[in-house]
Amino acid sequence: MSDNQSNLSGSEMNTSDASNDAGTDQGRVFRDDPLPNWWKLIFVVTIAFAPPYFFWFHNGAPGRTAAERYDAALAANLRLQFAEIGELSATRENVLKFLYEDSWLKVGRAVFKSNCVSCHGSEGGGLAGPNLCDDSYKNIKEIGDILKVLQNGAGGGAMPAWQGKLSPNELVLVSSYVASLRGSNPATAKPAEGQEIAAWPPKPVEQEKSAEANSQSDSSPDEG
Amino acid sequence: MNSGAELGADMTEASSASFGELDVKSFDDSIVRMFAAATLLWGLFAILVGLGVAHLLVIPKMFGGSEVYSFARLRPLHSSVALYAFLVNGMFAALYYSVQRLCGVRIWSAALAWLHFVAWQVVIGMAVYTLPRGLMQGRDHAELVQPIYLAMIFIWTVLFGLNYWMTLRRRRIQRLNVSLWFYSATIVTFPVLMAASNVVLPVSWVKSYPLLGGVQDIVLQWCYGQVSVYYLLLMPFLGLMYFFVPMVSGKPISSHRLAIVHFWALVILLLWSGSRNLHHTAIPEWLSTAGMLAGLMLWMPLWGGLLNGWRTLRGGEANFSNSTVYRFLACSLVFYAISTFEASLLSIKSVSAWTQYSDWTIAHLHNGMMGWNGMLAFGAFYWLAPRLFQKKLWSDRAVSVHFWFALIGVLLSVLPIYVSGMKQSNMWNSLDELGYLAHPDFIDSLNASRGMWWARILGGSFYLLGLVVMAGNFLLTWLLSSEPSGLASEDAERLAMLQSSNDLQDGAEIPCLLESAPVLDAARSFERTSALRWHQIWESSPGRFYVIPLLMILIVSIVQLVPVLFLQSSVPKIASVKPYTPLELMGREIYLQKGCYSCHTQVVRPLVAETMRYGDFSRAGEFVYDFPPFWGKRRIGPDLAREGGKQSSKWHWRHLDNPGLLVEGTLMPSYSDLLDSRIDFERIPSYVDSAKLLGVEYEGENEDLVQNAKDQAERIAAEIVSAGGSIQRGGVMTLESQAVALIAYLQRLGTDLNTPVATDDAQVAAAQ
Repeated sequence: MSDNQSNLSGSEMNTSDASNDAGTDQGRVFRDDPLPNWWKLIFVVTIAFAPPYFFWFHNGAPGRTAAERYDAALAANLRLQFAEIGELSATRENVLKFLYEDSWLKVGRAVFKSNCVSCHGSEGGGLAGPNLCDDSYKNIKEIGDILKVLQNGAGGGAMPAWQGKLSPNELVLVSSYVASLRGSNPATAKPAEGQEIAAWPPKPVEQEKSAEANSQSDSSPDEG
Repeated sequence: MNSGAELGADMTEASSASFGELDVKSFDDSIVRMFAAATLLWGLFAILVGLGVAHLLVIPKMFGGSEVYSFARLRPLHSSVALYAFLVNGMFAALYYSVQRLCGVRIWSAALAWLHFVAWQVVIGMAVYTLPRGLMQGRDHAELVQPIYLAMIFIWTVLFGLNYWMTLRRRRIQRLNVSLWFYSATIVTFPVLMAASNVVLPVSWVKSYPLLGGVQDIVLQWCYGQVSVYYLLLMPFLGLMYFFVPMVSGKPISSHRLAIVHFWALVILLLWSGSRNLHHTAIPEWLSTAGMLAGLMLWMPLWGGLLNGWRTLRGGEANFSNSTVYRFLACSLVFYAISTFEASLLSIKSVSAWTQYSDWTIAHLHNGMMGWNGMLAFGAFYWLAPRLFQKKLWSDRAVSVHFWFALIGVLLSVLPIYVSGMKQSNMWNSLDELGYLAHPDFIDSLNASRGMWWARILGGSFYLLGLVVMAGNFLLTWLLSSEPSGLASEDAERLAMLQSSNDLQDGAEIPCLLESAPVLDAARSFERTSALRWHQIWESSPGRFYVIPLLMILIVSIVQLVPVLFLQSSVPKIASVKPYTPLELMGREIYLQKGCYSCHTQVVRPLVAETMRYGDFSRAGEFVYDFPPFWGKRRIGPDLAREGGKQSSKWHWRHLDNPGLLVEGTLMPSYSDLLDSRIDFERIPSYVDSAKLLGVEYEGENEDLVQNAKDQAERIAAEIVSAGGSIQRGGVMTLESQAVALIAYLQRLGTDLNTPVATDDAQVAAAQ
């Protein structure tokens, strides 16, 4: 042991002289490297950072807490989602209008995928709930009824009511999407239930009418 | 100064002389052998169960859907056994060995040590018996039933702690070696934290309720319970590191003052970090910030152990090619470096917003436990084996084989689940260009993980094989090997080195840089203080290593926990949140016993992607009637905090019966037994009584409560039947099946927040 002690680096001190009366060849090594500077620096910085950060973060200024930042992020996301259509009113006309707007059907599809697939299947072919892809419907006589079923539920709670859980925009867009599923015939579709009903009305042609349906839109110039 | 030097020399002489005489007969190593054997056996069991759990994620029907072997029952078993039986037994073995050497005396009472050994194994046996039977507390960091924890605390403090303390008192080496600081702090801290996190009200041997519900129980579990586990995986293992690394490398600890600084920093800071895993949940936000900052401050103290270990290990006689023990220790330190850095990283709020509830948490944990704790224990055991058996290992090659198996095992277990964790986080949290969920279907995240889950099974198998090789090697050493190991003299030398590096701290030889400099005395005394010589005195009195950690617990409790536990403002009341109905209480109990919380969390965080997927974020006031709350740690299924009203009762009915029929690719097992078994309505009053004991108000006599439950069951059954469900199944009426109780609970979840309270106000107005 004592042989390689003298080779030990820098801050080790061979102090066996101090106790040479022990008369053994056992080395007594005292090694006490200084703390590395980077280590001290980072440690001090993390400590110095903590109290000011804590008091800065919790000084009551608006917009810092998780809930407030969430509100801001949610508002930003809503603007992204619905900037062009604003806040829709949940009406039959809007359901019909967006049935023919493919880009917004995608939004309806996203809402459907998040909320409806566990009963109606990812393609709308039906699981616990009925098939939405054929021409037969259980509680629907015409396109506006889709919205009503969504809002109020049906089948004694088998279909839950979504009013209040989804925004009016989402209710309209997912209704349009459900209407658009008609005739898509996915591979895993359930057999038809209910009664066959007439085809959806065609796309409303008059520009004025669609502007009316869009009455609450921010982007509508008439509304000012 | 001079006398100090002489004193130091005398002490050194005394200690090295005593080591010269000490041979193995001076110590009691039989207890070490017993704990080591238990470690190996429980280790095999723990990893085997872990492999079973891992298989259930890729082959959900692997065990034929048997309840005892379901994921929700095996997962807590795996984690409890891996921690308390594998790693802690290993720690006990190495600790009993090192403490005797570092104190220079036999263990105080061999009988007590044996009792400790037997009792600890019995307690683990109790855990193995209860957990698969659904006897759990359902609390994230206190899953075992209360009597087991009480037994653990008793064994730890009396059978183990007292023996340790008395050994310290009778030690022949005055200064406590670094390892002993870490051991002492753990031995005093762990049982206190464990006891504090188990403040529960027992109503029977196997059933107890937390005294404080909701957010307060969560804080108790994480700020005491989780920290106690954290303490257990860090502090004593650092102590082991400080013993085995110098013994292997033959070099003294590279920096004594770094050891001092990082030890005390850990003692002071670790306890604050419990809330760093609760970011964005319904706990008070200042607590979350405090946890984050503590997590960041912990980075360097944690790495202090790494630096000291690494610098001590390197440059000695052992190296990567000539010593397999060295390999294990070096790898252990590398995994320690990664997982401790990661711990600090994950404590940052925005990082944790991304990683929380995914496989990432699991990867982090396994990185630490398999890599740092496991590899260190293996290294220590291979170093110990020739000393315990007094003969050479049967095969050195087998050690090398184990090393590579273990290394591949850790990497293959951990890296794939980091990847799957990132995939899951990404799929859950990302929005598409329209501002909608990019992956609205939760199942997608499971399907994307499957390949990685297969890979981690391979990793676990390697790890298991490695342990089998180790056990075999030890067995054959015991039975067949005869060549004496002849390590005693080398060990005595190194022990003396380890001890003298401590002893010679005696100030005299350290030059005071400012001694002759023209500065004020104050500067000199500051220089002396910062050179940490005062710590020499501390090292001679073990009491400080007990008292200061205890004091820290007290301080942390006063600053962090008391406000949460006793200030009403921490949990703002929500008028519309009402107690659970008697039937829902029973549903909660089923939820707990089935272990639903193993896969489903019940807390929605205020993050856009999360509220879009699950509904409005959770408020603290929503959980006041949850004893305990089922917040959970991981999402293998979707969050259920807002499940109420999302699906029809009929859907839940069919889903419990056969989840695969409704959700393609689901991992959830069938709970059809709930449809086939009757509710024991007679037990309803006992659940209500427990709730009353906890301060929840219920009106009515027992008969009313039972009637109330029956009425609610009838309503739900009516919904199911009117939606086309069957009236009875196998002789059990729908309205009396346990599934209905669970559905009642599920349909209640998260619905109170937006329930109008007008009727209440009207009543109040009418009363006035």
